[in-house]
Amino acid sequence: MRAAAVIGLVAAFGLLVQTTLFHALPFGVHPSPDVLVVICVFLGLHRHTAGGALGAFILGYLQDTVSGTAAGLNAFGMVVVYLLVYLTCRRLWVDNVMSKVVLVFLASCVKALAVLAVSALFGTFDGEWGPTFSNVLLNASIAAAIAPPVFALLAGARLPEERDAR
Amino acid sequence: MEFVRRNRILLTSGVLLLVSLLLFSVSTRSPAYRDPIGHLVLDALAPFQVVFSWIGRSVGRVWTGYVDLVDARRDNQRMHERVATLESELLRLGELERENARLAELLSFRARFEGTVYGARVIAREPGPLAMTLTIDRGERDHVHRGMAVLAPQGVVGQIAEASHTAARVVLLTDHNSGIDAIVQRSRARGIVQGGTDGSCYMNYLNRDADVVVGDRVLTSGLDGIFPKGVMIGEVVDVSRRHRGLLQAAVVRPSVALDRLEEVLVVDATAQVADPPA
Repeated sequence: MRAAAVIGLVAAFGLLVQTTLFHALPFGVHPSPDVLVVICVFLGLHRHTAGGALGAFILGYLQDTVSGTAAGLNAFGMVVVYLLVYLTCRRLWVDNVMSKVVLVFLASCVKALAVLAVSALFGTFDGEWGPTFSNVLLNASIAAAIAPPVFALLAGARLPEERDAR
Repeated sequence: MEFVRRNRILLTSGVLLLVSLLLFSVSTRSPAYRDPIGHLVLDALAPFQVVFSWIGRSVGRVWTGYVDLVDARRDNQRMHERVATLESELLRLGELERENARLAELLSFRARFEGTVYGARVIAREPGPLAMTLTIDRGERDHVHRGMAVLAPQGVVGQIAEASHTAARVVLLTDHNSGIDAIVQRSRARGIVQGGTDGSCYMNYLNRDADVVVGDRVLTSGLDGIFPKGVMIGEVVDVSRRHRGLLQAAVVRPSVALDRLEEVLVVDATAQVADPPA
């Protein structure tokens, strides 16, 4: 329960930050950090339950709701990310900061590609692929950069046995 | 059942992926589709979004203000440098304009002469109680010789006292060694204009009954064989008559600002003013 509250709070805070705060800052290109994908990676690493998958879906659904995209798009991307991270950490030991940062970078790319693939499949994507991919890489880099502090905030949501194992 | 328990995450994820695609399909294909949960979430987040947006804008304003301040400072510095450059340029142009005016005046003055006339620049001056001289950049190489008259558009400057190969020294009319045969323009009274030891200039050897008053213009007489006739020397500013003696003297203020001279004309003895003043 405590873990769900921590994740919920961080998700709400991240959602607000990535949808409001960063867009109001005068940084010119407004690259918005995808805090939710970091949380989704956290769920994939530490929540190997049906609730974890549901959490990823809810994160994506929330993102759809506030970002104005069609409902289900980001939800699909998040569930894909969750699933891939879950499958990855079943085979690879991912616990140090660097490997998590790399995982977040890859996860962000995977999520973007999943979203683009579904959009293209349903015929709703009419942008150019070149700029889109450079944007994907930029956003993935930003997500990777913010991953360590987000993981630090989420440390309270780790299972007791995981915390003891450290 | 065991299969479901072991693969619950994969199965849940698969179901959620299908739900997502279904949701996406419905929301994109049905324009009338409204997401009630989404609206609830939006309503719940709206107040917080207002606060976060306000924070973001405030931080943005502070940041923009700081950047503007830095830009303003840089602009200010650039403007200062630009102003300094332009002022320097203005000074240079003003100087060129003044030089141009002086040279034009000198040229027009030169046109008044018939005979050999050389233009020269003043390159040094040695004003002192015993020697009022200046140096010009013309010498014997340029056919400038001792004894030649030196003039400016306003009048007499002095005469060449010494000439080297490339330069010449000019004794000013205010030097006590200088002597110029002169006449008072109005009364034609004749005398010798000489320098004093105090930098002033006197018209000596005037007859006691000669008609000389303050304001009279003094011109060269041309009788000394050095200065052409009819060139302005100066203006009488004082007349002194002693109680006794046959002569009187007048204090003459030179028409040329000798301390600010930059260009002069060197005139040989054969040169004449084409239209001397009456």
